[in-house]
Amino acid sequence: MATVSQTDVGSSHKASAWSYIGAIVALTAFGIPVIWLILTALASPSQISEGTAGLLDIHPRWQNFVDAVTMIDFTAYAGNSLFLSTLVATLSTISSATVGFGFARLDARGRKPLFSVVVATMMIPNVALLIPSYVLFSRLGLVGTYWPWVFWGLSGFPYLIFLFRQFFAAIPVELEDAAIIDGCGWWRIYLLIFLPLSRPVLLTSFLLSFTMTWGDYLAPALLLNLDNTTLAVATATGYLDPRGNGLLTVQAAGALLYMLPVVVIFLYAQRYFMGSSIGSGVKG
Amino acid sequence: MSRHRRLATVAGHSPRDRGRRLRVAKGPRRWQRRQGRTFYVFVAPWVIGFVILTLAPIIYAFGVSLTNYDGSSSFWRFIGFRNYVEFFTKDTDGWASLLRTLGYAAIVVPLSVAGGLALAILVNQRIRARGALRALFFLPSVVPVVATAITFRLIFNRDAGLFSGLMGLFGVHDVTWLSDPWAFYALVVMTLWGLGGGMIISLAALQDVPSELEEAARLDGASRWRYIRSILVPLISPVLYFQVVTGIIAALQMLVQPLLLAETNRIASSAQVPTSSTLFMVKVYNEFFISNRFGYGSAMLWIFFLVILILTLLLQRLSRRFVFYQVGGD
Repeated sequence: MATVSQTDVGSSHKASAWSYIGAIVALTAFGIPVIWLILTALASPSQISEGTAGLLDIHPRWQNFVDAVTMIDFTAYAGNSLFLSTLVATLSTISSATVGFGFARLDARGRKPLFSVVVATMMIPNVALLIPSYVLFSRLGLVGTYWPWVFWGLSGFPYLIFLFRQFFAAIPVELEDAAIIDGCGWWRIYLLIFLPLSRPVLLTSFLLSFTMTWGDYLAPALLLNLDNTTLAVATATGYLDPRGNGLLTVQAAGALLYMLPVVVIFLYAQRYFMGSSIGSGVKG
Repeated sequence: MSRHRRLATVAGHSPRDRGRRLRVAKGPRRWQRRQGRTFYVFVAPWVIGFVILTLAPIIYAFGVSLTNYDGSSSFWRFIGFRNYVEFFTKDTDGWASLLRTLGYAAIVVPLSVAGGLALAILVNQRIRARGALRALFFLPSVVPVVATAITFRLIFNRDAGLFSGLMGLFGVHDVTWLSDPWAFYALVVMTLWGLGGGMIISLAALQDVPSELEEAARLDGASRWRYIRSILVPLISPVLYFQVVTGIIAALQMLVQPLLLAETNRIASSAQVPTSSTLFMVKVYNEFFISNRFGYGSAMLWIFFLVILILTLLLQRLSRRFVFYQVGGD
């Protein structure tokens, strides 16, 4: 599985002037929304009422960030998000690694068709699946609890299973042959030989799963209550004035605080995100 | 797999079948069986999860789609396929939203895949700050949807939005961009902001293309554009095809983005999503949570599943003509 593992790998074709123009245009297009978010987060309500040009006159108003943290119970919601994301990331990484190992290293009747089912489930529209899941969970009395996430995590995610399978399948056979001859069982082979080797994949899987859960809006919006929901829901629905209108400046500050952990994790662990690209795995 | 074939591989002719080779060493059948059992123990979490968390809700939804269940009361009846008949004969809004969703996918998917490919080619060259460019183009696609939606709500805000300000320079004032008919295009723009996700996938594929090919094409007098069109794109077409399929599925089930982008700030009620951005799943969501028509909503979900299935099969057919698979794989 070749991936974007090194950021300095690429074609040797030297970029032309047109390429630089393209890069600058693209950078501007991708950057402007974030810059605008920051400008709004630093503006005062009176600047907002002056209209667009008002925002360009920058007098940082840090009070917006204070408001963002105090208007809603920010730390509690952030705590819920952190707990839920860590829970899902841990469970889904452990179970996806185990299942991926099974598909990569163990032979059995029905392995191939079963793996095609795993790949096919990546195509199942999750949003469409979530609505009947919500109905089922509500009939089971699990709405308002974190149990659905425990179940989702325990069963592993197809994408991560795929990732682990690709990694484990590429490890030379000799390694486990020697262990088998030494009388090692499959669980010991998995736990003592393969898992330690897969540390980068474990980290990739954990980070992907964590940021995915942190960023998810629909599942917590449907399945959790106001007192135990995540920061995603609180950021999207809080920050209103008494009449129910959104406070733009505080919303912007809240959105920045909410997305900050994801951006930091991404910048810090870029190569794990880029390295997880499924692209080359689907070839031929 | 027949017993004969399995016996034939015992001699170890097939280097891929390790398990079978090991049978010889360890005493045949017992080993085979043990490995089989171990396999099912290892994959059990996913198999059980698949049955309970994926199959069960889908089948349950089919059951509900045959009733007039309203989500809470216990007075519901079995009404056969009446919900399906209603959708196909009466629900003009539902059909409109389905067509709108297909239109949305038809705009967004080609633009994202092509844009992602263009960016991938751009940052695959020897260009200054290549690593930083890759990261910055990729970053928007990992920003959580709530933050993205708030950002674009600010950009398109009627009074203090950047876009409104720019349009003001051209003399267009006081347009509520997040309402009809503009909300649809705002949604498109917001989606395209995240096309860096596709860029990373294309980039990984581009890095697998041997550099000798470019050299050879250049020596044969092919222009850069010709090389991209006739060599690069066909070579990575399986990866582009993969993006088209996953992109279409993602576009068709778009729900959170239109909900969050709606100008209203009481997000919990989605009835206020402008018509032009009421995609199919928004309609389904409304049937469930605004009208409490769980039965009808479930029928729409099943129609949706079938639409996706048909589209995927169609694409698979088409792919035989347009997708180039290397013999032998990697």
